[in-house]
Amino acid sequence: MTSANPTFSPPISTPISTHLPLPAPRPRAEPASEPPLSGTRRAGWLRRHARGLAAVALLLVVMFPFLWLVQLAFKPGADIFEDSLLFVPTLEGFRSLLQGNFLKSFWNSLAVSTLSTGLSLLIGVPAAYALTRWQFKWRRHVALWILVTRMAPPIAFTIPFFLAYRWLGLQDTILGLAIVYLTFNLAIVIWLMQTFFEAVPTALEEAAYIDGCGVWQAFWRITLPLAAPGLAATAVLCFIFAWNDFFYALILTRTNAITAPVAIVNFLQYEGWEWTKIAASGTLVMFPVVIFTVLVRTYLVRGLTAGGVKD
Amino acid sequence: MSTTLILHPGTGWEAARRRAFLWGLLPSLAVLLAITLVPAAALLVASFTPLSLTDAAGTFRFDDPLVNYRHLLEDERFLRSIATQLKLSVSSVALQLAVGLALALLLNGRSRLLAATRTAFLVPMVLPPIVVALIWKILYTPDVSPVHRALEAVGLPVRSLIANPDTALWAISLADTWQWFPFTMLMVLAALQMVPDEPLEAASLDGANRWQLFRYIVFPHIRPVLVVCGLFRLIDSFKAFPLIYVLTDGGPGSVTEVTNYYGFIQAFNFSYWGYASAIAMVILAGVFALSWLVGRLGWNDHDKR
Amino acid sequence: MTQRRHLLQAASALGASALLPGFAHAQSGAKKFQGVTLNVSTFSAAYPKLLQQYLPEFEALTGAKVNYDAPSFPVYNQRADLELSTKGSAYDVVNVTFIYSSRWINSGWLTPLDDFIKNPNLTPADWDVNDFLPGARAPETGRDGKLYGIPWTAEALLSASSRFDLVQQAGLAYPDTTDDLVKVLRAVNKKERVAGFVSDSHYGWTFVPYLHAFGGDVFRKAPDDLYPTLDTPEAIAAAEYYASLLREFGPDGAITYTPDQVTQALKLGRVNFTDAGQLHLAQLGDAATSKTLKTLKFGQVPKGPAGRFPGTAVHGLGIPVGSKNKEAAWAFIQWALSKQTTRKAVLAGYGSPARRSDIDSQEFRAKQVINGNDLAQLALDSIEQASRTGHMKYRTVSVYPQVDQQLNKAIALIASGQASARQALQQAQAQSITELKRAGQNL
Repeated sequence: MTSANPTFSPPISTPISTHLPLPAPRPRAEPASEPPLSGTRRAGWLRRHARGLAAVALLLVVMFPFLWLVQLAFKPGADIFEDSLLFVPTLEGFRSLLQGNFLKSFWNSLAVSTLSTGLSLLIGVPAAYALTRWQFKWRRHVALWILVTRMAPPIAFTIPFFLAYRWLGLQDTILGLAIVYLTFNLAIVIWLMQTFFEAVPTALEEAAYIDGCGVWQAFWRITLPLAAPGLAATAVLCFIFAWNDFFYALILTRTNAITAPVAIVNFLQYEGWEWTKIAASGTLVMFPVVIFTVLVRTYLVRGLTAGGVKD
Repeated sequence: MSTTLILHPGTGWEAARRRAFLWGLLPSLAVLLAITLVPAAALLVASFTPLSLTDAAGTFRFDDPLVNYRHLLEDERFLRSIATQLKLSVSSVALQLAVGLALALLLNGRSRLLAATRTAFLVPMVLPPIVVALIWKILYTPDVSPVHRALEAVGLPVRSLIANPDTALWAISLADTWQWFPFTMLMVLAALQMVPDEPLEAASLDGANRWQLFRYIVFPHIRPVLVVCGLFRLIDSFKAFPLIYVLTDGGPGSVTEVTNYYGFIQAFNFSYWGYASAIAMVILAGVFALSWLVGRLGWNDHDKR
Repeated sequence: MTQRRHLLQAASALGASALLPGFAHAQSGAKKFQGVTLNVSTFSAAYPKLLQQYLPEFEALTGAKVNYDAPSFPVYNQRADLELSTKGSAYDVVNVTFIYSSRWINSGWLTPLDDFIKNPNLTPADWDVNDFLPGARAPETGRDGKLYGIPWTAEALLSASSRFDLVQQAGLAYPDTTDDLVKVLRAVNKKERVAGFVSDSHYGWTFVPYLHAFGGDVFRKAPDDLYPTLDTPEAIAAAEYYASLLREFGPDGAITYTPDQVTQALKLGRVNFTDAGQLHLAQLGDAATSKTLKTLKFGQVPKGPAGRFPGTAVHGLGIPVGSKNKEAAWAFIQWALSKQTTRKAVLAGYGSPARRSDIDSQEFRAKQVINGNDLAQLALDSIEQASRTGHMKYRTVSVYPQVDQQLNKAIALIASGQASARQALQQAQAQSITELKRAGQNL
């Protein structure tokens, strides 16, 4: 029975073996002092920083495709087919996005993601808490069900949802899309919040019970504030997943509730691929997500594996 | 934790507490039921009919429930799509594991620079998949791609990878790996923390080199994580859509047409909803089986408490 | 941009209302469709692009707001088909795409327009529906004889050469037969780094003239006998021929070329020959963007052993059956295809109008003489011929879209070397039969 789970340690770890064996093995600390002879200084510096240099070099290689898209957004349209890396950056690509539907789709994305996050948290957080504190018979089955929900391919749901929405009038609405997103966001919330609630010691809650609090009163007053950072991280993850969705939005929206990822596809036109617009809209669409990621990087893995990684 | 609840079975506040938890759980269960089990049931029902929207009333009949599944077995395009799916999934998951593992080992260090690079490496994974598809469309279109033009400039012109049936699937695999390797990297990094120090210290005292340390101590520890990671990525790879939609549209020919994409075409190009439902059921069955496997491998440690 | 919009709106409100008598009585007081939002969707092409520029005029006239959606051709068709199949109300005006027209009309997914046309309150008397070419109205007419779409383009598949000077240098004339074409391509391929031939990857459109030229056909006897005939010896010969054109003389990635890429390639002089409709070929005459204006030449699609069978295509604007703003939608269609609007487009260089009055007009004929080639005459000859031989009947069949896709895939397979012509076509044949049966056809 663990209530003390080291769930908040960041994924920075100790090195397996940092350098060539030193006379006194100290595998936990990096050697603080440089070798006394200045002749070997450069060699030592290189050896020590080889890893960092390699990391940065690899980073540049891996990020190149992404950086290329971003710089393309600032290139003047006529130079798209030119080879020069030097150009006068212009906001023309972004400005051209103002005409047409793109801005509206951006707002739609914001609205849907926020609504979906709100709904998921509202419904999922109490469930997560209940699952944490209450051992009941079919836990395993519910767990499997939730996992399959998270993993199921969108096509399995779009066909029935499409027909149902036609009938219910939810086709091409923000509410309709937010409901569909519950299929994966609810599972995320339930899984992630379980790990955070487990970290809250029950002793505190029991003290509250003795004082006469009900289950949910104790939850609201004690557990939730303690799990607040986890709540924030979960909210951000829900937002990211809802923002990034493409398939559901492609099928279930038309003109009213069209989201940003789908609006970009409109720029792949018959008459000419408008590369600047594509690059500019791509840059805009991924911007919030990248910012948020930096904020919640610690919890990202847990979110993606629905809590499957112990750390 | 549950000791409190077991000690006094059936007493008033005990039952009250159970009821309180039930109320907390019920909304989620109800919603999940409505939005997952009900549609899944509807999907199953639709897969037993030849439902097609050109004649919705006439084709919603059950006189031959297994007609779609029989057709699936005879449908060469479907069977090929399964082979394509497996090829794509296995190749990209293997690459993701390899690249993720290598990078995790490299970046496993305690310095601010390494911490910053670790964060930067997350970017491909969190980008909206459509943006990833567009990035790679630009890279794979010879007219605008810096890579193609650079290669041409040094005298090694390369033909379009996505228009060539031999390389199209690999091109998608590469793009997919670029997108998802941070996932494996993060999981391996987290697992590397758990590797105990004593065996490492002892072994390096005995003179073991880095490779031996890795092979005999580190690897056995992270192997379970690699397996779980691989399975997760495998399941997720069945959903691959934007990359194929933007890069190849299932082509050239049908060499990159995976099962998910084939289902999409059947459902949303010609409204053969009965048939597409059957395809979706097959994919769902595969996902279910793999998820069950993941569950069995004991990653679900919420249970063990 | 907004300033221009307002100016245009003001000017239009003053001027246009006089030209369109249907709205004269609406001038006094509130505008007829004030507060109505119209959702118009069509695929992105020359005429829709021009319409988008003229939208402020319509909005000023009627007070309606227009949401104009113009995605690429395959995306548009997929979305429109899906929306129409559920009789939804997301769109008020849609493009009736040439290969889908029969499918959509005969499944009852579009609104018949005859009543709108006949109503004098909705349509001015001189709008003249009979001014549209009969051959263009035919594909938009249902089996019940009612008109479901108003055509905005009537085009024929023509052949074009962007670097005819290279052909002349080789001492050859414009290719007339399929054998000539191969000879010419062999002579000019890769000269000055110009690839020989490319065509847009919608082979269900660009390949069929060759299929017919070799004596094959899509169905046994459309529209009565819809048994596909994709694997006959003639069809195999045609496919082998066509795919080899792409394989031997095509640029890198030829089988993924979209129509705009083809146009671009010809404008920049990267590829020499192509087959395309005037909808695209007319753009080659744009002096501002076309580098090959001086070396252009047009001709008819080549003649094969069985004759010459140029393909024709008609797109029209229609109203989905589920639309909630049918009157406003009709006002839009009526304005978009009024004589004034189509004439404006023709003056702007639009190449494939569907109105006889536009086709016969001086301005049109003058504009369509590109580098000495009379594009309009070539197109007219082809359209004339098509209506005589009736070889386009295969397209008036509601199950053609499925077969269209099979043809696309088959040619792509052959051209990329993944399958022989026989294998690919036999596969296409088998799949087509399955799909037709699944669509409820009795074969």
